[in-house]
Amino acid sequence: MEHPILFISVILQALGLPVPHAAPQPGHFGDLTQLLSPHMTYTWLVMIFLILMPKITMGKIEMIPGKGQNFWEAIISGMEGFMADNMGKEGARMMFPMLATFALFILVGNMIGLMPGFMSPTSNLNITLGCTLIVFFTTHILGFKFHGVKYYKHFLGPVWWLIPLIAPIEIISHFARILSLSIRLFGNIMAKETLLGILFMLAGAYFAPLPILCLGVFVSIVQALVFVLLSILYFSASMEHAH
Amino acid sequence: MTKTGIRKEMTKLIADFSTIGMTVSFSIFIGVGFGYYLDHKLFEGKTSPWFTLIFLGFGVAAAFLNLYRMATRKDIRDE
Repeated sequence: MEHPILFISVILQALGLPVPHAAPQPGHFGDLTQLLSPHMTYTWLVMIFLILMPKITMGKIEMIPGKGQNFWEAIISGMEGFMADNMGKEGARMMFPMLATFALFILVGNMIGLMPGFMSPTSNLNITLGCTLIVFFTTHILGFKFHGVKYYKHFLGPVWWLIPLIAPIEIISHFARILSLSIRLFGNIMAKETLLGILFMLAGAYFAPLPILCLGVFVSIVQALVFVLLSILYFSASMEHAH
Repeated sequence: MTKTGIRKEMTKLIADFSTIGMTVSFSIFIGVGFGYYLDHKLFEGKTSPWFTLIFLGFGVAAAFLNLYRMATRKDIRDE
């Protein structure tokens, strides 16, 4: 397959920077040129976009909101309502900054790959795994915060003689969460990107990728929603009492 | 329940239940992988294949425990 043209990589190469085209070989993980690989640069692009865009469009916050402020207020209050429905007002207020960041980052990261010349940072397993590990550790930190040391009872099941059976099972199912969250997002977005690339290469002049572009919008929204919703469910499960 | 309420409930349930298939397969793989690690890396093949088999059992049990919890959950309202 032809190499896709990614404009940030092209610019960086024109500036004379070494842009890697492959993952590092085993044993070469200190390779700093990996910071310039496409998924990293596009992660930074999404971050810059998300930092600058509200600043530019919103302007000063006023009592009577203008166009930009209305838009962002609708997004923020919509997300907060969604979280409050699923994890209660208190939990929503506490976890809102993190979950809203995930929602916006994953949504924009998924969507950006639909434009030619861009790629989705979430189509790389490392990015999604990073997000998922943050969710995983936050889940358990929340558990310890809300239950103290007694949080370990979440892993022990109802009766004491079932402990040797239940404890490994619970730990395995917690680790399965890491894999299923990260690989679902990665797999969906990578499939979208690969399919689009192949269709552009084969019949791009005949609008063959159009239906997949429409599906791509749908998949992007659904996967961002699912990621946030599942992290909300995990958080609220670790905050409630042991069963 | 209002129409939007039902829609919200539906999206939540769809997101939650769409994880079943992946959870089953990943539980089994993690079980087998951890057992294989114990057998071949930690005990250098002396205990092979016992830990692999035991943790395969744990993985399958974890998968079925998840299914059982999904099936017996209380928060599904039938209207």
